[in-house]
Amino acid sequence: MQDILKAKHWIIISLLPALLLYTFIVIVPIFWSSYYGFFKWSGMNEPSFIGWANYLEVVNDPIFWRALKNNMIIVVASVFGQVPIALLLALMLRQTTLFQRFVRSAVFLPTVISTVVVGLIWGYIYNPEFGIVNALLEMIGLESWTRAWLSDPDVNMYAVSIPIIWNYIGPYLIIFIAAIQNIPTEIEDAAKMDGANGFRKLFYITLPMMWTTIKVAVVLCISGSLKAFDQVFVMTGGGPAQSTELLATYMYNNTFMTYRYGYGSAVSTMIIIVSLILILISQILMKRKEEKGMGI
Amino acid sequence: MRKDVVYEANRSFNPVFRQKKSIFKVIKTVFLITFSFCMIYPLYWLFISAFKSTDEFFQFPYALPSEWTFDNFVRAWNLADLGGAMINSTVVTVVGTIFTVFLGALTAYVLSRFSFKWKGFIMLFFLLGMLIPIHSTLVPLFSIMNEIGMLNTYWALILPYTAFELPIAIFLITAYMSSIPKEMEEAAVIDGAGYWGIFFRIMLPMTVPAMATVAILAFLRYWNEYIFALVFINDASLKTLPLSLSIFSDGYSTDYSLTMAAMAIAVIPTVIMYVFFQEQIMKGMVAGSVKG
Amino acid sequence: MRNNNLFLFLMVLISIWLTACNSDQAENTASTEESAEATVTIWHNFAGDDLRARTVRDLIDQFDEENPNISVESEAIPVDGYRQRISTVAAAQELPDVFFTYAGSFTDQFYDGGLIQPITPLMEEHSDWADSFLPTGLEAYEYGDNGDIYSAPVGMSSTSYLFYNKQLFEANGVEVPETWDQFLDVIHTFNDQDITPIAIGNQAPWVAQSTTFGAIADRVTGTEWFMKAVEQDGASFTDPVFIEALGYFKQLVDADAYQEGANSIDNTQAEQYFAQGKAAMMINGSWTVSSLAASASEDVIENIGVTVVPSIEDGEGRANTITGGPGGGFVLNSEAEGNVKEAGLELIYALSNEEAQKAIAESDSMVMYDVDIDRENVSPLYYEAFNLVRSVEFAPVYDLYLSAAAGEAINNGLQEIMLGGELETVAEKVQQAQVQSLEEE
Repeated sequence: MQDILKAKHWIIISLLPALLLYTFIVIVPIFWSSYYGFFKWSGMNEPSFIGWANYLEVVNDPIFWRALKNNMIIVVASVFGQVPIALLLALMLRQTTLFQRFVRSAVFLPTVISTVVVGLIWGYIYNPEFGIVNALLEMIGLESWTRAWLSDPDVNMYAVSIPIIWNYIGPYLIIFIAAIQNIPTEIEDAAKMDGANGFRKLFYITLPMMWTTIKVAVVLCISGSLKAFDQVFVMTGGGPAQSTELLATYMYNNTFMTYRYGYGSAVSTMIIIVSLILILISQILMKRKEEKGMGI
Repeated sequence: MRKDVVYEANRSFNPVFRQKKSIFKVIKTVFLITFSFCMIYPLYWLFISAFKSTDEFFQFPYALPSEWTFDNFVRAWNLADLGGAMINSTVVTVVGTIFTVFLGALTAYVLSRFSFKWKGFIMLFFLLGMLIPIHSTLVPLFSIMNEIGMLNTYWALILPYTAFELPIAIFLITAYMSSIPKEMEEAAVIDGAGYWGIFFRIMLPMTVPAMATVAILAFLRYWNEYIFALVFINDASLKTLPLSLSIFSDGYSTDYSLTMAAMAIAVIPTVIMYVFFQEQIMKGMVAGSVKG
Repeated sequence: MRNNNLFLFLMVLISIWLTACNSDQAENTASTEESAEATVTIWHNFAGDDLRARTVRDLIDQFDEENPNISVESEAIPVDGYRQRISTVAAAQELPDVFFTYAGSFTDQFYDGGLIQPITPLMEEHSDWADSFLPTGLEAYEYGDNGDIYSAPVGMSSTSYLFYNKQLFEANGVEVPETWDQFLDVIHTFNDQDITPIAIGNQAPWVAQSTTFGAIADRVTGTEWFMKAVEQDGASFTDPVFIEALGYFKQLVDADAYQEGANSIDNTQAEQYFAQGKAAMMINGSWTVSSLAASASEDVIENIGVTVVPSIEDGEGRANTITGGPGGGFVLNSEAEGNVKEAGLELIYALSNEEAQKAIAESDSMVMYDVDIDRENVSPLYYEAFNLVRSVEFAPVYDLYLSAAAGEAINNGLQEIMLGGELETVAEKVQQAQVQSLEEE
């Protein structure tokens, strides 16, 4: 009985600092901002209450849906690009040789660089006149494929996704490396004794042991992709003609460029709702998979 | 000795297997080298660009600089007061990272080792924080900090940074801790160690790789954070690096050679930091393989 | 019960902390007030190393030194973050005493929110000074029924100069175009030679609107029509004449006047592209003069000529105009009173009086003020542009008069046209945005 009380006490004491800090700095502002969503407010004049009008306008604005669609492209590209590539690399890079250390550092370097530089260098890579992509295509005889990658609305959303994937493989790599090395060596050894090797070991030991981390990585990936802003802001600014508009750039433009603070707040609330839904879906999907994996 | 090596040695009796293995190894090496090149190139490009004049930067974007002078670096350093900004960034980033790692680990310990009524709710509560577009919190957060008189201090950056990074820290460390077997703690409980004792003496040392991961991510984010630094700090003597990096643009045009030089200077500490923490992650790995 | 106690304890802790912080603050302000009669805070975006930014910062320092009873707390904010910083702080009602603003919708917001107060007393006190601003210089900052003035511009945004590469024109045997037909001919000639006719960096989408379309549209529609359309008073952006104006812009696009991927390179990249001789022409604003003066070599600058956008014979508007209007200026917080208000007004005057205007004009950047400059103090290209702009009339810059939302609509619309979009759809969107903004006022 006393132990339970003691445990309860401990739980409260140790959760409190994080909870308090987080509540006051993250949660309160976000509800405050959702509340602004019910007002017509430029950010400078007297706010006037307009009920659900902003939220309705968000839902009826085709640009919002285009931004959401563009964001989904980034979500898909990241979840199916960043996570598998990082996982593959993490499995390949488990030694402490100089070469492997070098590769591990190399993969992380794009994360270190300012997004302004990332935007600039990819702008050059995609440049229609002296960019590397078009030069390569011409070299292998695919001249008809060359184009202005960032300006052409048919392809530019895919073109901006690649730098985003490339930019953030590093963090997932270190997350996975840390997880892999947490797998108790006894289990691996036991698997080897049983003659499990290569793919069998991967699918029956390594991946299941890492599954919690992979799930967290997918959550990070989805939430990160839905907040994506910097690279696109630098490379295209959401243009041309809003063809690469993302939820975050859409919100930013409304809030700070056209002085519709209330509307911008409504958009950001919608971003949170959409993210929550996507994350719940992903968790449900991954849960099934996990159970299946265990079942076999 | 590396267990992989032992393992391979056993198999090497079979020559066909050996040949297959070495082809695979060559492909893997070539792939890794190519991949590394693609990853390193931008940093290389940043550094060569930092040595160029504006004219040269635009005329020959891919070429090496015709002349290696440190003029850009010196000018950028002086004009943007990078020295002062670097000190401020270091204070904010280091304190913020320590807070994040400690609070993250403490919370993760509770969430991964105890079961209580509100646990699911608290997890969801922290999840919410990862989804927030940061721009939308600016005005409320500004008002709160203004109310409590925290604007214009290091705390105006340290606390929001920590708070916004906490969810990621908690989720990563929780995931890691929950795959650590419980036997060691049970032994400690029998020895009569309290919860703090278990946390500091057993959980923290075993979680170093996850904490190092969180530290790297937090450090990077704080070092490069722009928006909070822009809005919550007035005092020029408290400005952090990202603000100093953006002064070379006047809204119509940008002095790219100075911008590149300033960015090259700013990136060096993050590379050093990464190499340091990566070693922390890998230390666990080496230790693990020695055990095996 | 336990939880309740804990909660109480926390509340006490937090309140102690708050009082501690607040008393700190109180002490601070008290101590500064003792040392000076008035403390004025000023925020601006002259943070960089360009000539103009340094000049303005020097002016502020000079004012601080010359007025021992006034202490100036100045903060320079990077241009890229300025709008966001000011908007956030304005929403929290914590603006500084004096701050820099942009003419047009940005200042409209402050006025609508009652966040700024008139500087009319200055105008009355220094009437010579007030009369020396160029036409429309002060009107842009005039609000309310009394015709109060809220700011004095410290710059001019003249946005549509036609820059051309003299050597390329000579080598290809073409004359600098004066009419639209000549313009199209020149574009064809350069295209035949595989030289980009016009460089533009329209990644930030205001560029095409501000530098090129405004000038074309004024030539086609005339200024009067535009002003009516802005007020939605007997003219609408769906009128055929506006579609026609959009059509002229489309002619440039269809004639392949711009380099490929123009919508994904920035203004600096376009300027450099032109300076390197890869494009024969560039339509850009006075800022180009300043940035080329700072970055390009003398040979390059001597090779650049500057003139106005060609005339459009069938248009309703004047030929020989440059789109332009007042640039940013300093405004006074509506909460400034007493000593602070006096000091703030003094500071605004010191930053925009004749001496200041001359200093800014001689830092290779245009001003909205009747001032003479010394030829040897400025870059030759700037001198040429300075005299050009003084010899022509102004046409309105679109985004100076349109609402912020309509401005976004035309900016995005021009990009749409560059991608092959319909003129009517673009006109429709601009019209809608403008109507909606007027209704909201």
